[in-house]
Amino acid sequence: MNNIFPLIALLIFPGGLFLMASGLVYEWVDRKLIARYQNRVGPRWFQPLADVVKLLAKEEIIPTGVSRGLFVALPVIGMAGALTAALYVPIAGFAPSFSFAGDLVVTLYLLSMMTLCLGLAGANTTDRFSLIGATRTLTQLFSYEAPFLLALLGPAIVAGTWNIAEINNFAGQNIWLVVTQLMGFLVALVGLLGKLEMPPFDAPEAETEIVSGALTEYSGRGLALFRLGKDVELVVGLTLVASFYLGGIANPLEFLLKTLGLLIVMAGMQSLFARLRIDQTVGLWWRIGALLALVQLLVLIVVRVLR
Amino acid sequence: METKLPSTWEKALDSIRTWARVNSPWVIHFNSGSCNGCDIEILATLTPRYDLERFGVKLQGSPRHADVLICTGPVTRNARDRLVRIYNQMPDPKFVVVVGSCGLSGGVFHGSYNVMGGVDEVIPVDAYVPGCPPRPEAIIHGVVALLDSLKKKP
Repeated sequence: MNNIFPLIALLIFPGGLFLMASGLVYEWVDRKLIARYQNRVGPRWFQPLADVVKLLAKEEIIPTGVSRGLFVALPVIGMAGALTAALYVPIAGFAPSFSFAGDLVVTLYLLSMMTLCLGLAGANTTDRFSLIGATRTLTQLFSYEAPFLLALLGPAIVAGTWNIAEINNFAGQNIWLVVTQLMGFLVALVGLLGKLEMPPFDAPEAETEIVSGALTEYSGRGLALFRLGKDVELVVGLTLVASFYLGGIANPLEFLLKTLGLLIVMAGMQSLFARLRIDQTVGLWWRIGALLALVQLLVLIVVRVLR
Repeated sequence: METKLPSTWEKALDSIRTWARVNSPWVIHFNSGSCNGCDIEILATLTPRYDLERFGVKLQGSPRHADVLICTGPVTRNARDRLVRIYNQMPDPKFVVVVGSCGLSGGVFHGSYNVMGGVDEVIPVDAYVPGCPPRPEAIIHGVVALLDSLKKKP
C-alpha cells in the first residue's frame, strides 16, 4: 500500500490525469466566460479536449537550425514542472500529497519552469517571431515574478510558516485574508494573469504583431503539451491564490466555488482590458505592483513587531 | 519501425482522431492577390455575430498551428511562391478552402498575364466557396462541407 500511494498521487490524483482533465475543464470555463462577456455563444464543453487530441495526432515539424533535443524535451519539462507543483498544493481541498517546511518556494519555482521553458523554446528556434516572443516572455517573467512572490509572502508571514498546507489551515481558521490584505490579493490575482500570459498581459504571444510568440515554430505534440501545461498551471495558480486569500480550501465544494469565483473575476479582467505593450507591463509591475506588495509587506511586518 | 495494432484498436483510434479533427479546425487566412472583398467577408465570418468558436474554429497566426488554409484571390505570380511556402509550412493533415470566384478560376482576372488563375493551379484544394464575394454563411457552409467530407472517410 505504501508503494502504491505515491504512484496514484503522481499518475491519477492529484497529479497526472485528474489535473489534466481539470485543466481542460478550467480552460473551457475561461473561454466560455469570455465568450459570454463578449455576447457570443462560445465553445462547446469538449473543445479544449478536441484541440489537444487533434494537436497530438498532427505531424510535428522540427525546423532546421534548432537543437533537436531541446526542441523535443522543453514541452515535456515545462509540463512536468507544472504537474509537480500541483503535488504541494491542496488540489480539490485534500491535503497536499507531499509537503515539507518551505514548499511554497519550491512550488513557485516549479510554476516558473513553464515560463522559462517557453522562453528557451522561443530562443532555441531561428525564427524572428519566436525570438521576440522569447525576449518578451522572459522580460515579463522578470516583471511579475517578484511582486507575485511578495504578494504570496504576505499570508506566509501572517501564518508564520512557509508550508502551503499550514498556511491553508491558518487561512481556514481566521478571517479571509482578502479582507486584511486586499493589496496583496490584487497583486497576486493580476500576477496570475501575467504568469499565464493571459490578456492584458499577452504581449509575449501577441498574434497581431509576432504571430504567436515563442510557440510560433511549434506544431503538433509540442504545442499540445505547452497548452496542457498552461491549463495545469491555471488550476494550480487558482488553487494557490484561493487557498491563501479566500479563506483556505477544506473540501472539494469549497475548491470548486472559490477557484471558479476567481476565474470569473479573471475572465472579466481578460475581456475588459486591452493588451499592454511590454514596456507598459514592466512599468505597471515595478511602479505599482511591486510598490503595493512592498507596502503590504511593510504593514504586516510593523503590525507583527508591534504585537 | 512501425508497430501494427489490431484492426479494432486501429479503427477506434481513427474515429477518435477524426472526431478531434472535425471538432477543432484551426484556420489560417492567406490573401494571394485578392481585391480584399473576400478577406473582409472572412473577417466578418470570424466576428462575434457568427461566432465560429462554437464549432471550434480559431484563427491562428502561424501556419504551424493551422489545419485549414483559407485562401482568397487568383494567385499572382508574386504570391505564388509565398503560397506554396505557407502550404509547405503547415503540418499534416492539412486542408485548403478557396473562397471567392477569383480563387476558383481566376474570376475577372482569368487569362491575365500576371496571374496563375485559380488556387488549384498551385496547391491541392479540398473545398471551393464560390461568390464575389461569398456571404459569411456561404463560407461557414464551405468549411462545414469540408468537415463533413472528413467524417465520411473510412
